[in-house]
Order: sequence, then C-alpha cells, then structure tokens
Amino acid sequence: MAIRASRGDVEAFRLLVEEHSGLVYRVALRVLGVEDAQDASQEVWIRVWRNIKNFRGESAFSTWLYRITLNTCLSVRRKEARRGEREYSGEKLPFLPEPRGGDADPEAATLSAEKREEIQAALGHVRAEHRAALVLRHMEGLSYAEIARVLEVPDGTAKGWVSRGRAAMLIALAEENRHEAGGPAE
Amino acid sequence: MMPVGEQRWEVLERIGAYAAGELEGEEAREVEQLIFERPEYRRLAESYARMLVMLTTLGNEPLEAPEAVVGYVIRRAYVSAFMRGAEVFVGALGRSYIDAFVYYLGLRRESYGGGT
Repeated sequence: MAIRASRGDVEAFRLLVEEHSGLVYRVALRVLGVEDAQDASQEVWIRVWRNIKNFRGESAFSTWLYRITLNTCLSVRRKEARRGEREYSGEKLPFLPEPRGGDADPEAATLSAEKREEIQAALGHVRAEHRAALVLRHMEGLSYAEIARVLEVPDGTAKGWVSRGRAAMLIALAEENRHEAGGPAE
Repeated sequence: MMPVGEQRWEVLERIGAYAAGELEGEEAREVEQLIFERPEYRRLAESYARMLVMLTTLGNEPLEAPEAVVGYVIRRAYVSAFMRGAEVFVGALGRSYIDAFVYYLGLRRESYGGGT
C-alpha cells in the first residue's frame, strides 16, 4: 500500500490514512496533549503525502510514520523547550498511593477519567525527547532498537531517554497525586 | 564523590529499570538486595510498577483520530493530486501551443506534430 502511495496513488494513500490515523493521533496526543494533537496529526499526514515518494520500503511503514510523527511533535515542543519540567532535588523519593482495594483490585486495571488526566498532565512535565522515548517504549510497546531507529539516535541514547523519562514521569505523577490529595509531599 | 541528588537519581533509574523487567543477572540481584534492605526502595519499586501498568493500560486503549483530521488530509491529498495532474496537462498543452506557434511562424524547419 505504502509503495503504491509512493507512486502517487491517492486511493492507496487514503487507505493508509484510514489504517494508521489512530497511531498518529495517539502518539501526538501523548506527546503534545489534547490541545495540539489534532493540528499535529494533520501536519504529520501532510508531510507524509509530501514525502511519500521518498519511501523506499527499506524499513516498515510504521517505523517511517512514527519517525515523521515524532519529528513533527518534537519540532512543536522544541519551540517551548524545557517547559514546566519538574526539578528533582533528591531529598524525597516519589511514591504513588496504593489503589483503594490494593494492587489486586480489578478497578486498578481500568483508568478513571481523572487518572487519565493525571497521566497526561504528568507527561507534560517530562522533557520532550524523554517523553517521546517513554511513550514509544511503555505505551506503544516498541523495542529499544525500534525506538533508536524512530528517533534516529544510538540504542544507548534511546535506552537512557526511556530511563530518564520513566523516572521524571514518576516524579511528576507523584507530584500530580500530591496536588490531587492536597497534602504535603511525603 | 557523587552528590546526593545524583545518587538518588541513579537509584531512581535503576529501580525503574528493574520494575520494567529490564535488568538481568548481577544488576537485577543488586537492585533486589536494595529493595529487600530498604522499605522505601520497595515502595518506590511498587510505585513504578503501578505507573507502568497505568501507561500500558492507557497505551492499549483503542483511540481513533477525529473524523475531521482524516477527512481533511484525504481531501487535501485528492486536491493536490488533481492539481499535479492539471499542472502536467496544462504544461503539456502550453508546450504544444508554443510548438504550433513556432511552426506557424516558420521558425522551425521540421513539420509540426513530429512528421517528416
């Protein structure tokens, strides 16, 4: 399909959009938040259509699409570099409260609207590159080799970004929980 | 000597990697030892595990792009493909007219239309 679209076949492109629009929107939403996700998704597909003639099928179409999506999202966020990142003094460890019914509680496996907002807000406090790597690893389920190819960095860098993103996310999430509870830091 | 903040950050990342199941062998055993000895590190590992479950759960939820996005990009692609086609057609037509005009003025010796 992607090869057909790369030859200018609009119908093939339409099928690609229909098949992969969820992926693009999902990643844009996690990396940018709800305000910018729609515009960024449109921008991604405009770039895809403009550049699809360069797609040779050497890598999977999804890898190529993830790369364009992340490049688009990161170019938006670079303009607002280091916005709202949580500082970590190292004095206190970030903890999340235990779910009311304990970890075995089936309700813990589903996410309330409130929890979703907390996660999205916490993601917004993680540095953009680390957030992108974290989303690809723990929300999209990509391997480190795939993340490295998408973000065009060495494997070690991808691993480091995920690791830092994970730690920063926990700090931000603990902070979000603290605000929700209205109590002091532990 | 490493500052306290950096030390804590290192522990934070190592326990995170352990909770994500990414440590093996000696590295994993070292973190297990830390978790066993220090209740606050055990709590940290549990917090990581909770966070990772939340991220995976959210990541696995189906999410469709708004219809407006899909409709807009498809319409735009069709319009752009039409414009490309029109550009080629108009270009070819324009060239044909110029060729015909040049032939009409007698500026070219060979016959118009590629004949001999």
